[in-house]
Amino acid sequence: MSPTACLAAAPALTHNTLVVAAGVAAVGCAAGVVGSLSLLRKRPLIGDAAAHTTLVGVAAAFLLTGRRDLPTLLTGALVAAVAGLAALVLVRRFTRTRDDAATAIVIGVGFGLGIALLSGITARGLPGSAGLEQFLLGHTAALTVRDAVLLAVVSAVAVAVVLLGLKEATLVAFDADFAAATGWPVGLIDQVLVTLVAVMVVVGLPAAGAVLVTALVVIPPVAARQWTDRVPTLLVLGGTFGLVAAIVGVAVSAVVPRMPTGPLVVLAAATICIVSLLIAPRRGWLARRHQQVTLEPPPGMRRLR
Amino acid sequence: MNPVLDGWSIDGATAMHAWAIATAATVAAACALVGTLLVVRRMSLLGDALGHAVLPGIAVAVLAGGRPGSPFVFAAAVATGLLTVWLTRLVRSAGSLSDDAGTGVVFTTLFALGVVIVTAAASRVDLDPSCMLYGILELVPFDTVSIGDLEVPRGFISAAVVLGTLTTAAIATWKLQVFTAFDADAARAAGVPVAAVTGGLLAATALATVAGFEVVGAVLVVAMLVVPAAAAELLVRRLHHMVLVAVALAVVGTCLGYLAAWRWNASAAGMIAVVLGLEYVAAVVLAADDGLVARGLGRLRYAWRVLCEDRLAAVWRAEEKGTAATAPVSLVQRLAVGWLRLTGRFVGRAGGLALSSAGRREAEMVVRSHRLWEAWLGQHAQLPLDHLHPPAEWVEHHLGAAMRQRIEAEVGAAGDPHGSDIPPEA
Amino acid sequence: MADAGSSAPPVVEFHDVTVAYSGRPVLWNVDLTITEPCLFGIIGPNGAGKSTLLKSGLGLVPLVHGTARFWGRPLADVRRRVGYVPQRETVDWDFPVSVMDVVLMGTYGRLGWFRRPGSRERSLARECLDRVGLIDVADRQIGRLSGGQQQRVFLARALAQEADIYFLDEPMAGVDARSQEQIFGVLAGLRSEGRLVVVVHHDLRTAATWFDRVALIDMRLVATGPTAEVLTPDNLRRTYAGQVDLLQEIGQAVAARSRTT
Repeated sequence: MSPTACLAAAPALTHNTLVVAAGVAAVGCAAGVVGSLSLLRKRPLIGDAAAHTTLVGVAAAFLLTGRRDLPTLLTGALVAAVAGLAALVLVRRFTRTRDDAATAIVIGVGFGLGIALLSGITARGLPGSAGLEQFLLGHTAALTVRDAVLLAVVSAVAVAVVLLGLKEATLVAFDADFAAATGWPVGLIDQVLVTLVAVMVVVGLPAAGAVLVTALVVIPPVAARQWTDRVPTLLVLGGTFGLVAAIVGVAVSAVVPRMPTGPLVVLAAATICIVSLLIAPRRGWLARRHQQVTLEPPPGMRRLR
Repeated sequence: MNPVLDGWSIDGATAMHAWAIATAATVAAACALVGTLLVVRRMSLLGDALGHAVLPGIAVAVLAGGRPGSPFVFAAAVATGLLTVWLTRLVRSAGSLSDDAGTGVVFTTLFALGVVIVTAAASRVDLDPSCMLYGILELVPFDTVSIGDLEVPRGFISAAVVLGTLTTAAIATWKLQVFTAFDADAARAAGVPVAAVTGGLLAATALATVAGFEVVGAVLVVAMLVVPAAAAELLVRRLHHMVLVAVALAVVGTCLGYLAAWRWNASAAGMIAVVLGLEYVAAVVLAADDGLVARGLGRLRYAWRVLCEDRLAAVWRAEEKGTAATAPVSLVQRLAVGWLRLTGRFVGRAGGLALSSAGRREAEMVVRSHRLWEAWLGQHAQLPLDHLHPPAEWVEHHLGAAMRQRIEAEVGAAGDPHGSDIPPEA
Repeated sequence: MADAGSSAPPVVEFHDVTVAYSGRPVLWNVDLTITEPCLFGIIGPNGAGKSTLLKSGLGLVPLVHGTARFWGRPLADVRRRVGYVPQRETVDWDFPVSVMDVVLMGTYGRLGWFRRPGSRERSLARECLDRVGLIDVADRQIGRLSGGQQQRVFLARALAQEADIYFLDEPMAGVDARSQEQIFGVLAGLRSEGRLVVVVHHDLRTAATWFDRVALIDMRLVATGPTAEVLTPDNLRRTYAGQVDLLQEIGQAVAARSRTT
């Protein structure tokens, strides 16, 4: 980093910047917690379809209301994310198309529609339309204190819901058949989980953007899984890694001009993940190489199928 | 987003648009070709992952002095694509992860790396960060080389080369690809080099992805790869038909999408994805054997047949017992009776309706199916007599002549467990 | 008790149960009544629909028609009194939970929404683990157990349900002899406590000695009754070399017609 960039950054470290960083950190933490559950439920990429359709909602909310404040745009994004997930369910229910193709269709077509709308808005130069593209790759510099508080509150609610229903979610994730046989509404619990993921994807948009926000939900939990064999620890670590990645991303993007936040947050999370994959005790790559010498099968080898 | 369009002169514009459309359609055809195999092998998300993950390869190659669209950049991107697949496997096994999780980690990380490289170097090289996301189709016609008298866009040439290469490779290895897609284990047992076949498909995907990346950007490549192929899968059953239909849908959708983008002044890449999506929806609704319309009609037709057959059988049974059949109650039942009369299976008679000879034959076959099934269940399943009727009520509408003969052979001379006669086959 | 059987509703009653996967019947018109607590085996070849029958009773697969009732009441009324041991392969054993965590899951049904297991549940879970001989590995991650131990964890979880009826899906599959004996011992103990134990099982030799009553299934119910009366050469031939071809073809015809025409 050049000295001038450092100088330019210095005045940016105001009260505002800190509050915004705290809000984004809360989002990273909650995304890690919620993502841990969706990793356990074997649906780590469920958020990806929702993430790519959020753009349609951002553009539509702007077109319909003419406003560009964060609550309006994120509300639109949430509606679109849920619509994207509903489209996924409909495709599964009414067609022969397989799950992977259905996800790819929603991703491709949903993002295409979002791009088409955004480009149409930009080309017409509607007042206030500048900056909508920041939702593509994330840009936290424009957040206000009120925005940050909103993000933090939504994140806190999401974490609270996870903690409240942790017993139920763990049961369904581990053995859905047993859960159903003992009378738990598996479909409902899954819907709550998917909704939580959609909410996290939406509040993650300012930090990571539509294209990369999936990473907030996927990478920290994968890293956390390396270190523990207990669900509560997994949630704590997933949240911590997400929080750290978000802070690093926001800090670096505040200092480097024109650099979008999303990729930086993702790279920070990826660094944690790579380190975890390599050196974690027992599950890490190094530990396994060592174990193979001592002839004890690594835990992952016991996975069935 | 495509301000250049407005600046084109009227006479040059048409040619420019034609080149852009031709380039996009060529890329779409190449993607659809590869995408068909990806879809049937359940590797659709790999297309999505590669679309994102080739970015750092392209960025590094351009930084190293390669021209966007040059063979050097292509090679770098394909290498990155294969590296991505390898990395995904590595991460997956290192973390004991599912496919999804491994893919999710690797492609987002590589894409983030690419964005950072491009943004950091944006002032030095000719790569616009926004192009990464939705391509530069509108600019393709401006970068040309002369071939004879003709100014041909570089983008079109590289797209055509990719399409040619992939088509040749597909024709040369088609049987192996089909065998592997259908049953990889059997193919391996039969001596097919499955790993090489899959590796070839991955390389082909990377190649098509890179071609698509230049035109429609990282994310929308997945639409070109998967959507036409998934639509084709709903429309036809055979794999080689699927390829042809997918390519046709891709080309038509690309042309329409470009024209729509032109008309409404929006991103061509985005509109192409939207039109491809509309094609898929049309396939869902209209597919001949499995579409929503066909299924709805089929269900109606089935319900109607059951209604008519039940009516015929009721009258036949009443005749057998020498009593009067219960009169049709509901409106649909009366409609069914009207229809049966119109088609000559009921004839009017003093005191009501009677079966015509055609109607009698049909009724007998329904009753025959019913009683044969009761007899079979009575013999081969431990089921009390009074439980035999409901299943037979259901199965009687599903048995053909051949099936009835087989059941009769197994039942033998035992006859109907309730003691009624089983009518003979017509 | 036995004399009152005619008036008291049977413990389990499958009435004319037909189950189809995507329109294609795999189990035809099964009528099965179990009047009193015992060790009950469901026997049949691969793909005969044994597990499907069990799952249909638990409401895990939809019925095309027919009903399953427990003490004359629908499952929803008596869910907590029905315990379930699914096949071992249905879960991911790499899942980050301990043996104790899994057994505690058996108490969740009684706990209801949002309440966490407390000391009562923990001591119950320890009791159940002790009963299956796994108390020493209570804190281990479930992936670090042998196949037989994993199966016993599932059994302990079902014990923690404190149910009156137990449905077990292939509990002896891929399990070493020692674990088999141990599992059978626990099941026999449940029977002597007056509970009904229904076991899907594929091994004919052990079936003859273990079960009080059996049902032979091959896409339809072939025979049911006391083990010695049912496991006759004639019945076995009808089960293992039976008329399944015809049932499969008719199933296909039903699936094809009800889907498209």
